[in-house]
Amino acid sequence: MRCSYRKKIIYGVITILIFIIFSHPGLYGRSSYEFIEKHNILKYLHEEVNVNLTSNAFTNCDYHDIINDETTLSPNLIEGDLVEGHGIRDGGEYIPQDCRPKFSTAIIVPYRAEQLRGFLVYMHTFFRRQRIHYRIFIIEQVDSRPFNRAKLLNIGAAAAINAGFPCIVLHDVDLLPLRPSNLYACTKQPRHMSSSINKFRFVLPYLTLFGGVISIRTSQYKMVNGMSNEYFGWGAEDDDLYSRLRACNFKICRFGPEISQYHMFSHKLQRKGKLRSDLLSFARKRMAADGLSSLHYLEVATVLHPLFTHIMVDL
Amino acid sequence: MVSSALTIQDILPFRANNKKVDMDAFLPFIVLPFLLLIATISRTITIIIMVVIGMGVLYVYTRPRQKNRSPFFFSWTMSSAVTMFLVFEIIILGLLEVTQLENFIFLLLLACTCYFFYKMKAIADFELATGSSKGKEYSPVLTSDSYYCQVCQIEVNERFFHSIWWDCCVLRPNYVYFLAGQICAFATLLFGTNLGLTTVCQPFIFYGLILLPEDCNDAYYEFETPVEKTCERIKRVK
Repeated sequence: MRCSYRKKIIYGVITILIFIIFSHPGLYGRSSYEFIEKHNILKYLHEEVNVNLTSNAFTNCDYHDIINDETTLSPNLIEGDLVEGHGIRDGGEYIPQDCRPKFSTAIIVPYRAEQLRGFLVYMHTFFRRQRIHYRIFIIEQVDSRPFNRAKLLNIGAAAAINAGFPCIVLHDVDLLPLRPSNLYACTKQPRHMSSSINKFRFVLPYLTLFGGVISIRTSQYKMVNGMSNEYFGWGAEDDDLYSRLRACNFKICRFGPEISQYHMFSHKLQRKGKLRSDLLSFARKRMAADGLSSLHYLEVATVLHPLFTHIMVDL
Repeated sequence: MVSSALTIQDILPFRANNKKVDMDAFLPFIVLPFLLLIATISRTITIIIMVVIGMGVLYVYTRPRQKNRSPFFFSWTMSSAVTMFLVFEIIILGLLEVTQLENFIFLLLLACTCYFFYKMKAIADFELATGSSKGKEYSPVLTSDSYYCQVCQIEVNERFFHSIWWDCCVLRPNYVYFLAGQICAFATLLFGTNLGLTTVCQPFIFYGLILLPEDCNDAYYEFETPVEKTCERIKRVK
């Protein structure tokens, strides 16, 4: 009897230990996080348009019904076609004709050999419902070095700044926004837009995640000197940007999980680059020297396609 | 001196028996993880390994029962449970896609399963040891509701069957726990595999309620990155 009593105690202690070990919150993703409530979104948006934007409309666009839109788009739209008479100008720029837009956004997409046509068809169909002035920049890396997402984003941001856009969205090509209420406009603080991705079970893996799709004002992007140019290969360049923003006392914000739903396309495995943790730990020290100010690359071509501005670069 | 010689002789054959028993008990803890590791190479190999394990189980059922209680099958059950638990908690949780509430529910279901099966085994062992199910008066004649369990090598009353996977008889007193344990085990496995598959595969929302796995084509590519991703993310969180 004493033996079985001792066994029971041991089993009980092991059970309690297991529960204690697994109650550490750092081990889990988060299905709920701090976000801007739907009724507050319009207050937090930063309204600014291109300086050289001309619009013939009489009234300003109203975004209340867009924010309260409950519909979800289906990813099957990528197989469809754009509507006739879409009014998209060369370079992938669109200005809504029926009202004066309050937001101008440059969508910057780093790209190499992925499925592009479906992404463009989906995004232009998505943006028709949002009544914003936008332009899509595709920055393609044409050399054979590992993919450097951050440097491509810097190049795209520089192009957007030249074109006069006050707000940029750094967008991955394999992510599709599912809710039209997820307005592609800048908030007063940088916003992490892709917080509920289907591939991650609609869960936010960790609170300081800043990858996927983010929106940031160009003034804030210039203040942190953009992203670091050193990250060749997969991983950590988004955490580098996050630490730069923290160094300048910027906080990030998010919208709610239902609005921020994204569909991620499965894609081939990317090889991780070396020396990640070294680069990341000195992120703040490198901030001034490494970024938009030190951007050196060879621009192979810039083409204004009907649906996008194509910038081909050799890093 | 005589007594010491006797004790050594006593010890030696005892030790030989012990070694054989230990091997049987430890074999599944080596064989099963090894088989599962091979199964991760590609989809074809996964199917082959699962079929091999299934056929092995069928073969075991068709063999005549051994006289002695072998710990191999019970060890197989335990090693399956431990391997599944470790894979879930280390690899699946490592991808940071399971919430704390979901893991808590999983651990709760697992604890219930373990409790019910532990009670079942405890009652069976107790009945075997005390023989109270044989009735108040020991009768050398086998009555209609007493059975001789060949594996346990003992006579028990009201035996339903002998479960080799739990290495005990399932009698009337512990049948409730056996059933409850089975139901909890089914729930745990269902929930655990749903969490695991929706983490590794591309999920979709079924009627706006539950996540189900949809597209698992990437599962075999992803295998090298989760451990590395985990370490990176844990470092970043710190």
